[in-house]
Amino acid sequence: MAQLDGDCKGYFLMGENPAVGSANTRLQRLGMANLDWLVVRDFSLIESATWWKDGPEIETGELRTEDIGTEVFFFPAAAHTEKSGSFTNTNRWVQWHHQAVEPEGDARSDLWFMYHLGRRIKEELAGSTDPMDRPVLDLVWDYPVDGELDEPAADAVLAEISGHGPGGDPLSAYTELKDDGSTRCGCWIYCGVYADGVNQAARKKPEWEQDWVAAEWAWAWPANRRILYNRASAAPDGTPWSERKKYVWWDPGQGRWTGRDVPDFVPDRAPDFEPDEDATGPDALRGDDPFIMQADGKGWLYTPAGLEDGPLPTHYEPQDSPFPNALHPSTPRNPVRHLMPREGNRYHPSGDEKGAEVFPYVVTTHRLTEHFTAGGMSRWSEYLSELQPEFFCEVSPALARERGLENGGWATIVTARNAVEARVLVTDRIRPLRVEGRAVHQIGLPFHWGPNGVARGDAANELMAIALDPNAHIQEDKALTADIRAGRRPRGPDLPKLVAEYRSRAGITPDTGTEVRK
Amino acid sequence: MSEERVGFFTDTSVCIGCKACEVACKEWNAIPEDGLSLTAMSYDNTQALGASTWRHVAFIEQPRPEGRTELPLAQGESTAQETPVGGDGELRWLMSSDVCKHCTHAACLDVCPTGSLFRTEFGTVVVQEDICNGCGYCVPACPYGVIEQRPHDGRAFKCTMCYDRLGAGREPACAKACPTESIQFGPLDELRERAALRVDQLHEAGVTDARLYGHDPDDGVGGDGAFFLLLDRPEVYGLPPDPVVTTRDLPAMWQHAGTAALSLLGGLAACFALTGRGRR
Repeated sequence: MAQLDGDCKGYFLMGENPAVGSANTRLQRLGMANLDWLVVRDFSLIESATWWKDGPEIETGELRTEDIGTEVFFFPAAAHTEKSGSFTNTNRWVQWHHQAVEPEGDARSDLWFMYHLGRRIKEELAGSTDPMDRPVLDLVWDYPVDGELDEPAADAVLAEISGHGPGGDPLSAYTELKDDGSTRCGCWIYCGVYADGVNQAARKKPEWEQDWVAAEWAWAWPANRRILYNRASAAPDGTPWSERKKYVWWDPGQGRWTGRDVPDFVPDRAPDFEPDEDATGPDALRGDDPFIMQADGKGWLYTPAGLEDGPLPTHYEPQDSPFPNALHPSTPRNPVRHLMPREGNRYHPSGDEKGAEVFPYVVTTHRLTEHFTAGGMSRWSEYLSELQPEFFCEVSPALARERGLENGGWATIVTARNAVEARVLVTDRIRPLRVEGRAVHQIGLPFHWGPNGVARGDAANELMAIALDPNAHIQEDKALTADIRAGRRPRGPDLPKLVAEYRSRAGITPDTGTEVRK
Repeated sequence: MSEERVGFFTDTSVCIGCKACEVACKEWNAIPEDGLSLTAMSYDNTQALGASTWRHVAFIEQPRPEGRTELPLAQGESTAQETPVGGDGELRWLMSSDVCKHCTHAACLDVCPTGSLFRTEFGTVVVQEDICNGCGYCVPACPYGVIEQRPHDGRAFKCTMCYDRLGAGREPACAKACPTESIQFGPLDELRERAALRVDQLHEAGVTDARLYGHDPDDGVGGDGAFFLLLDRPEVYGLPPDPVVTTRDLPAMWQHAGTAALSLLGGLAACFALTGRGRR
């Protein structure tokens, strides 16, 4: 949005393909067309790198290459086998991988790019007296480089993030960090990943040489703790809830918490500890308050602070929904949802509103095993592409009958934002939703495709509106409404014309779907 | 056979349809891409085994034998249930990774005139691309339709059970890549024992349709080196229910041909003998 408004001038895309993977891909491209510069680092010429010459808006005539002011730079990126670095999974494990081969051709790692870019900027600014340049000139940027390509040592960056004490010794835990400037650390949760000067993330001790917690396989943030709030695995009195599942418990002999994992608790705070009346902060937590990151140490269902909505979980309908909200009839959608109403990002009439019948079906997007997110790593692989070669929509036999769709044929799916075409897969797996006594058909759309690569197709995210959740700003692209019709979509200027015709038929205005309450 | 006979046991009851076996096979054996077309047959865009497809994961959508209970979601559900809008009952997805069966009695090997197809020291059947002359006799000989000639090349290709990897003491690429151990590799005798236990286990768990396919040394091909645990009849997976080595009748045919030839020769000799006597 800041790009469309002209406030955002430059954009680095590193392993990301918003022209396919982000909601309302048309607006994403129009945003990129309004930049001064765009840097794309990827394995292949993904859609976000070529929209200015062969993107959908060039075809419809909405953009002309010679009118686009954005300077686009493409840099081939090194793959994970061509560089050292870490993967962090959703279990918080930081797992190190070692470079196996040198990158081919001009391909370089992201680390190489960022380091040498920083180095060149510093060289460019050297001798400047402009106070604005001072922070960059004063920045320490001295990573050791290695090999013919001058690849920065990823290991050294990890050591810096992990942190150092006053004498330059590696820190082993975030509890050693001081707020007096004597310690240095890139990010507290990773403090200790380079404890004892050893890359703890690179540990690969096999499972048969350690217990089932596998604390010596890689490293987990924070503090190599494998399960958070693990004090809760023991009863309030500090004994395990279950002997078979015992995990962390209080050792009265030693006066410490102990167990299979690193205890997530003040190490010597006894289970029966009661804080003083005037204690504050972590000191005010009792010995049976396991949720130490919460102010009161308790698990929260009622959330009085920290969320834009709440304090209790509830149900809201999606931004575009065929149904009213049975739970909150007056407030069908989250009243604090983040909307961006503007030309090209219009919302649908929902529930019993007039015009909702123009988009009578539910669309949900999903993934396939054979492709990875926006396809940059899979749609250029012949072996993966031949397994899922084309964009398709999944519909039930009943919807196929209702709209004259043929298995293997083409269908066009339309929203107020855009229209896409997909091959039709008629399957009993897709079943109509029955809500409030009414049956509504669903359309399943895998979102991986775009016009470039070995396996090509329209991008499902062309159909999405940008509507974000108020807390984490996650785009809402798993539930919306649409129409479906047999046959391929129009080409050229006829495509936006079709979408405009739908908007007008549904009576869509800038205010449609933007209300807080009915 | 200098080594123990090895094989595949593909337990389809744990296959998740990820197709990692197909990709690993193609990567290891450097097999070309062979078609970028959507079949619109569930998630199966591979369709069949062939010259450039040595593992094929079948996806079969079918009504579930015993339906799950559907929970009523809202009022009016009962009427909605009486007039269902879409497919009735629950559905299940059968997934199965098919491969060359490495038959005990392999017809492809019997008919190969060049010796390109041979029985390895591991008891597997391998076709050598530097010897194959592209005659194509093996293609109709295979009772499973596995081996095929590559277009624009003519030579026949099929699964080698990663002969090069076996030689180096490694398991085949597909088995290595399989994340659920649906594809198990090992000594055939061991695999057969393990498979029998697995079938019993499934039967006890109420999966009465579980059955083995290709495990029996007394079947029409003398048992497969690659056998399967299926959850329905073989035909459902596109497998022949009662495969027979196509060269089974060859000895009898030669015998008949021999008898015929002998009769013919005898007849001719008799003719000559008779006419000769007449001339005198």
